Amino acid sequence: MKHSTRGRWACFGVAVSMLVLPRLGEAALGGTAASVAADRAALAAVHRATTTRGAYTVQEFRSDSSTVREYVSASGVVFAVVWNGRAHPDLTTLLGSYSGEYRAALRQTARTRGLRRQQVQSDGVVVEKWGHMRNLQGRAYAPALIPTGVTIDEIK
Amino acid sequence: MKSSNVGMTLLVMALVAGCGSGGSSGTGSTTTGTTSGTTGTSTGTTGTTTGTTASNVLAVTVNGSLCSGSTSGSYVNKPCVSVTICTPGTSTCQTVSDILLDTGSYGLRIFSTALTGVSLTQVASAGGGSLAECVQFGDGSALWGPVMTADVVLGGESSVQMPIQVINAGFGSPPQTCRSADASPTAAGFNGILGVGLFARDCGAGCVDAADNGMYYSCSGSSCTATAAELAKQVPNPVALLPLDNNGVIVQLPTVATNGAASAAGSLTLGIGTRSNNIPSSVTTYPADASTAEFLTTYNGTTYASFLDTGSNGLYFPATSLVSACTVSGYSAWFCPATTKSLSAVNAGYNGSPFGTIDFTIGSAVTMFNSSYMVFPALGGAMSGGFDWGLPFFLGRNVYVGIDGTGSPLGTGPYWAY
Repeated sequence: MKHSTRGRWACFGVAVSMLVLPRLGEAALGGTAASVAADRAALAAVHRATTTRGAYTVQEFRSDSSTVREYVSASGVVFAVVWNGRAHPDLTTLLGSYSGEYRAALRQTARTRGLRRQQVQSDGVVVEKWGHMRNLQGRAYAPALIPTGVTIDEIK
Repeated sequence: MKSSNVGMTLLVMALVAGCGSGGSSGTGSTTTGTTSGTTGTSTGTTGTTTGTTASNVLAVTVNGSLCSGSTSGSYVNKPCVSVTICTPGTSTCQTVSDILLDTGSYGLRIFSTALTGVSLTQVASAGGGSLAECVQFGDGSALWGPVMTADVVLGGESSVQMPIQVINAGFGSPPQTCRSADASPTAAGFNGILGVGLFARDCGAGCVDAADNGMYYSCSGSSCTATAAELAKQVPNPVALLPLDNNGVIVQLPTVATNGAASAAGSLTLGIGTRSNNIPSSVTTYPADASTAEFLTTYNGTTYASFLDTGSNGLYFPATSLVSACTVSGYSAWFCPATTKSLSAVNAGYNGSPFGTIDFTIGSAVTMFNSSYMVFPALGGAMSGGFDWGLPFFLGRNVYVGIDGTGSPLGTGPYWAY
C-alpha cells in the first residue's frame, strides 16, 4: 500500500506543482526553513529538537498547549506540519499561504457527527485531525512539495 | 443519512418499551425532590441487560430511549445516558437525557439550552474573572462555554458538587479555536457529553501553571483571555469525585448481529471491585500511558498508539490493502468492502505487555447506512496515525476503564481492561 500511495501522490504532485509554487518568505507550510522560527514565535513555543532524516529535517517545538513538528526539505521548504497536544493549534499560522484554501475546503466538507476524525483536502493541501482529549493530533502536508522518495507515512 | 426516521423511531420505541422511567425521557423534566438521586434519575426503574437496579448502575442505550430522536436521527452508534443536575445545595433538579457516554474524554458538559430547570453559578477564575473553557475533539469540532458549579447525580449515587461546562457558543468572546464551536444540541448531535475516560480532570497538571494551555479562559464582561486553572476548578470526570465507586467504570453492551440492530441497551457501572456487582472476572488489564491514556495496537505489521472510545461511532484505523477507503461518492470517510472483512489486531499495554489478539469485522458502510438500523458492530473508517477502537469494540464486551492513580483488583490506573 505504501507504494501505491506514493505513486498516487507523486502523480498528483506533478500536476499541482506547476500551479502552486511556494513563495519564499511565507511562514509555515510552503514557506522557507526560516519561517519555522517565525511560527515558533507566533505560537509562543520553544525549540525542542532538530532531527535529520535523510532527505529532510524535522524541527520540533513545543508550546504550552501542543507540540509541533515542521518537515523541511533539503531545498529548504516546509512540506508538512504535524502536531499533538491539548489543543489543535490555530492552523491559520501553520498553514501559511495554504490557510485560505484550507478554510474554503473545510466549509465544503460535510460534518459527520460521531466520526472522530476529519480529513480536508484541497488542490494544494491535505489536513487531517484525529485523537482524543489530552492528545489531539493532526497533520497537514502539501503533496506537491513532498520530496521524491518520501512517503506520507513518514509524516507523523 | 436516514430516510425512515419515523418508522425507525417507532421501532426503537417498541424495542425499548418498558426501559425508561418517565423522568428520563425528556430534557425538561424538572423535579423538586430529594437530591439523593432517587428522584428523576433513570436508574432504579430501568431494565438493563444486567437486570440490576443497584445505585451504581446507569442505563445506557445505543440509539435507544435515552437518545433524543431530534439529534440521533442521522447519527449511528451513539451511546446515551441521562444525568441529573441540581441547583447546588437545593432539591431543584433536572434530568437530562441524550448525554453522549464518552470514554475518550473527561468531564460533564451540557448545553445551556438543555439546562432550563436549574440555576448554576460560574466558577471564578484567577484574577477576578469567570472561568470558561474551549474543548476540541478529534474531528475538529469544539465546545465552548462557562465552567459552572452544579450538584451532579449519577444513577442512584449521592449528589456531588463539581464544576461542569455549560455549553454556550454565544458566551463572551471565544478564542479562535472555538469560533466555530457547536451552537446547539442539533449541531453537536447530543445534549451533552459525560466523559468517563482514564483521567480524573479534563486537563490536569498541564493547566495548573500554564495560561496558554489551549483549554481554559478567564472572562470579564465579554472579553476572554487564556488562563491557568487549578485542579479543583477544572472540569472533573464526575466518577472520580464520587465518595464511593470512584476508581473507574465498566461499560457493558450486548452483542449485536453483524448486519446491525435498531438499538441496543446496556449499562454503565460505577466503580471496579468496590461492591458485589462490579467485581471483575476473566479480564486482562492493559496499562495505559499516564499522559495520553493510550495503549498499543499492532495491525498489519505496524504498531500504533490506540484508545478505546465509546464517543467514536466506528473503528477508525489506517487504510491498507486489507481494507481501503470507500470510493463511493459521499462515503470516503468510511470503509465499504464488497464483502465483510474479518480482520485481526493485537492490543498491548503501553509498554508492550500484556498483549492479546482482537478479531473484528468491517462491513460496507453503504449497506449499513441504507438499512433501517442504527447500531453497527462492523462500521469502520480510515484514519491516519493511530487506532481508535470506537463503539463497535464495546458491543459484546465488558470494558473496564481504570482511572489514573486509583487502585482496584485489576491494578492501578490508568488502564483499560476487558
